Amino acid sequence: MKMIIKDMVDKIKTGELTSEELVQSYINEILKNESTVNAFLTLTCDEALAKAKEIDSRIKAGESLGKLSGIPIAIKDNICTEGVNTTCASKMLEDFIPPYDATVVKKLLAEDAIIIGKTNMDEFAMGSSNENSAFKKTLNPRDLTRVPGGSSGGSAAAVAGKMAPVSLGSDTGGSIRQPAAFCGVVGLKPTYGLVSRFGLIAFGSSLDQIGPFSNSVEDSAYILNIISGTDQYDSTSIRDLKEIDYTSSLKEGIKGMKIGVPEEFFGEGLDEEIKTSVNNSLEALKELGAEVEIFSLPIIKDGLAAYYIMSSAEASTNLSRYDGIRYGYKSPNYTNIDELMENSRSEGFGPEVKRRIMMGTYALSSGYYDAYYSKADKFRTKLKHDLKETFKKYDLIVGPVSPVLPFKIGEKNTDPLAMYLADIYTITANLGGNPAISIPSGISKEGLPIGIQLMGDMLCEEKIFKAAYSLEQALALEL
Amino acid sequence: MKVSIDEVKYIAKLSKLKFSDDEAAKFAKEFESILDNFQYLNELNLDINEDNENVELKPVIRQDEVKSFECNDLFRNVKDMQETYIKVPKVIE
Repeated sequence: MKMIIKDMVDKIKTGELTSEELVQSYINEILKNESTVNAFLTLTCDEALAKAKEIDSRIKAGESLGKLSGIPIAIKDNICTEGVNTTCASKMLEDFIPPYDATVVKKLLAEDAIIIGKTNMDEFAMGSSNENSAFKKTLNPRDLTRVPGGSSGGSAAAVAGKMAPVSLGSDTGGSIRQPAAFCGVVGLKPTYGLVSRFGLIAFGSSLDQIGPFSNSVEDSAYILNIISGTDQYDSTSIRDLKEIDYTSSLKEGIKGMKIGVPEEFFGEGLDEEIKTSVNNSLEALKELGAEVEIFSLPIIKDGLAAYYIMSSAEASTNLSRYDGIRYGYKSPNYTNIDELMENSRSEGFGPEVKRRIMMGTYALSSGYYDAYYSKADKFRTKLKHDLKETFKKYDLIVGPVSPVLPFKIGEKNTDPLAMYLADIYTITANLGGNPAISIPSGISKEGLPIGIQLMGDMLCEEKIFKAAYSLEQALALEL
Repeated sequence: MKVSIDEVKYIAKLSKLKFSDDEAAKFAKEFESILDNFQYLNELNLDINEDNENVELKPVIRQDEVKSFECNDLFRNVKDMQETYIKVPKVIE
């Protein structure tokens, strides 16, 4: 079933393939794999099949349909879907049914896509392994003893497990790119503001960005065409965006492209096999005609503190809306309003979410604000400045996605700090607002996927796609 | 960086969260280790050499349009209601 989405759509439109056949084939995979992989929190297979039949009959009737006509898609469970449970993998929102669609969902549906289910994640997108879900543990379809990564682990596993041809996730500190690397699929975090966040349940509002998981770079570009664009309902959405067809320049090649490789990405803590694999890919990029140069960008090794301070501070304010009154979990144990709020929050949130709320509240509290939040903000300004300077010299920055291979279930979930350290290579793009993609770079001795990250200047997705596509074709990995 | 159990409890109060003494003690330890690890932030030189180019922020506005929702949709997620009011415990004595 290794077909690009555009071809699937063309085949459905010409009647060579029906949407019903396509959707049914993915449902068959779900029936086969889902009971072990646990990628989904909600499945909408019956509704998907009904919609597929409707699309087939509209095509038969000669109607012209959208760019995703009849294509099933899985959506991370922190993206609002009207009338379909959206839980954030939290007891807090276990029974939450949004009264509206997120802008990205609206855009997909307007192109006649079919939602096949909502995917598992770390609670409120906080985590790197999917082990923080309140409901189930997603396993890595490439090795069922290991985590799929996180926080969009379910979306990555759904695509890697062939249960959906494409899915949406969200990336606050690596939550698309790291699970993409762990599961051996393509994951894109677009430029901050390129894709609307309206209807994405907020974690760190200045860092969050929605993006696609797919089997190929071409599919990733195809989906970005559809989900990107200015949105009046998102005040951080970039105004006056040029309309770009991201698929049009994919095959232009990368002769003369300048690629910078920060030596700080290859320091202590990087797994040897990942290092070798990334180096092999760098050689491949050279052979494709790119100028690859190692350089020093000291600031990128120091982002972790700033990232965790800022994201936790934003989380603590964003999550203050969960008070047990208008929606969400409501504790049965209370005698007054304060108890109602305290008990609802204490019973509804899981341990990692509480930890981040506490850390964020601490960093924002009087007496510590200057020591932590202000410092982190200053770091961010400096990082943005240094990145801007870097992209005057290089078209792209390339390096590893994760310092470690997909780890075993339970291996890291007792030490929060060890888990945080695994985000070291991905947080830069979030703090900077830059676009970055993770694509498969190789396979470890044990057969585990390894990813490589390509990061660009603001709104330079075209360059990223071009290089990622060339590399993907050159490596021709069979995963 | 020492974090006391009382401090954890104070932050919990601000966060509207409740913890047992054992949980608070565990948090204090974790906080210490995380914050110690973040100390390096204070030692970094974060000065920017050039004049900091001021990015001009433009206000973002849109028409405030009336959108009608079915009451059932709008209050779908409320647990306790009376007519179109959300019920809460008594707030003022």
